[in-house]
Amino acid sequence: MLLESVAADGFRNLDGKFSCGNGLNIICGNNGHGKTNWLEAIHLLSTTKSFRTARLSEAIRFDATTAIVRGEVRQSGQIVRTIQVILEGNTKTLTVNGKKETVQNYMGQLYAFVFNSDELEIVRGSPDSRRRFLDDGIVSIFPPFVQTLSDFNKVIRQKNKLLQNARKDETPANKVEALLAPWNEQLVSLASRIHKARVRFVERLNEVLERKLFDREELSIRYVSSLEGKGDLDDYESLIAERLSLRTQAEIYSGYSLIGPHRDDLEINFDGREMRKFGSSGQQRSALLSLLLAGVSVFHEQQDEYPLFLIDDIDAELDYRRIGKLLEYLDGKTQTFVTTSKESFVEKFGVDARVIRVAEGLPTGES
Amino acid sequence: MLEYSEPVARLIDEFKRLPGIGQKSAQRLAFHVLRLPEERVEDFVEALRQVKEKIVFCSSCNNLTDVDPCQYCSSPSRDRSMICVVEEPYNLVAIEKTRSYKGLYHILHGSLSPIRGIGPDELMLSNLFPRLSTDEEDGEEVKEIIIATNPTTEGEATANYIARLVKPLGIRVTRIAMGMPVGSDLEFVDEVTMDKALSNRHEI
Repeated sequence: MLLESVAADGFRNLDGKFSCGNGLNIICGNNGHGKTNWLEAIHLLSTTKSFRTARLSEAIRFDATTAIVRGEVRQSGQIVRTIQVILEGNTKTLTVNGKKETVQNYMGQLYAFVFNSDELEIVRGSPDSRRRFLDDGIVSIFPPFVQTLSDFNKVIRQKNKLLQNARKDETPANKVEALLAPWNEQLVSLASRIHKARVRFVERLNEVLERKLFDREELSIRYVSSLEGKGDLDDYESLIAERLSLRTQAEIYSGYSLIGPHRDDLEINFDGREMRKFGSSGQQRSALLSLLLAGVSVFHEQQDEYPLFLIDDIDAELDYRRIGKLLEYLDGKTQTFVTTSKESFVEKFGVDARVIRVAEGLPTGES
Repeated sequence: MLEYSEPVARLIDEFKRLPGIGQKSAQRLAFHVLRLPEERVEDFVEALRQVKEKIVFCSSCNNLTDVDPCQYCSSPSRDRSMICVVEEPYNLVAIEKTRSYKGLYHILHGSLSPIRGIGPDELMLSNLFPRLSTDEEDGEEVKEIIIATNPTTEGEATANYIARLVKPLGIRVTRIAMGMPVGSDLEFVDEVTMDKALSNRHEI
């Protein structure tokens, strides 16, 4: 997949169109002129989501009623498709070659991995960011997993409500157990699918993870189930069923579902120490890059195509040594888009790149 | 200040309470009513009143009916050894359209959802169990319960809850299959359904 050009109208402060290079694309301009907005537009085209906001209506320019982002995507050889995301109020319309498509049919035209300061939460934030990293990665190669996740979350919400009601109404234990059983039964099967998918995904990441690409210390990752040490994880289904029945009282007492993959984590270590606690901010950035690159490799293994790689504010987030290694690694693989406000960056890395200069949201020149 | 005179505003408000009707549709409907001849409006009002007056729940299966017991429960040609459990009366209609199911029904009028405050007591479930004992007047034994609740987490929970209560009575409990729509091309099936259809495959 190759994004040949991208156009925007009414999306934040953007207006106009630019064509993209096959390799490195540098979006360059002063702060506040819309570099990141272009990156966000490309991300929107690739994933139908923003990396900045869950409320896409915020991305419509204040004096416009609709925002349009359009891209021309070369699938392979001669096939070029025009894909478009139209935002109007709270509705999002997706089209491929001018025809309206469902999210499921739209997805898969393009896919992007993104590196920015928010994504750093994966290495230094709470476990839910790391679970989301794994789940997004699994969905990128196995879309039906979306349904498993959504069903699991629904079951957990229903079960939490049931537990809270039971605590409030002081429902007798045997009655609570009868009410919990149908939800726990679904939880067991959905949790097992999630556990299996995540364990397998981490295995695949581990197979391709570049452990020392950026730093001397060796990077390692491991999926940590919250049921670790409680029994045989290879027979997860029986284990979680057993834990659920053992812990019913504790669940009623706390009013929350205590057992399941929503309590799991991805452990990220360097030389055996925990990255989240002991890593320097540079080491944490290296770790995130390595994880994303592993995600890119798994995606490529599965789809036989490379996704896009987006890096916001590249020289603020990474030093020139790391940037050099990263760009060298990505060269010949992904189509890469980076933003920078520094001319010195363009001089150093822009030799074989396409440089897009942005002022007031408009692309003013390409070279 | 109201944009419309009070009777019109009130009618628009009433239409807006209906499912699937927003401000614009409500206005259109209200103005349509204003243009109707008097007697059409009377007919409409009468139809609304009658549906509330005459329609009751079937005392046996909870179907909506104007005669109790309903046409399915009272029909001598239905197979009394099977009861199909559905969430809503329109689910019954969908199954009836197949013309291949000849058993009886039981309508729950909902599915388990703690979030929406719906527990087993809020469903019309308790009157299923007297139907399962053989000493009913017609004397025929119920041999199978087919659970046809929706393939959602709520529908699954409901199915599971009922199965746990019915199975100990020695009655066969089955769940309708989920998967491919018949007559459509494989390429038009979404991935989630396809995935489900693959995992529920059977030998031929």
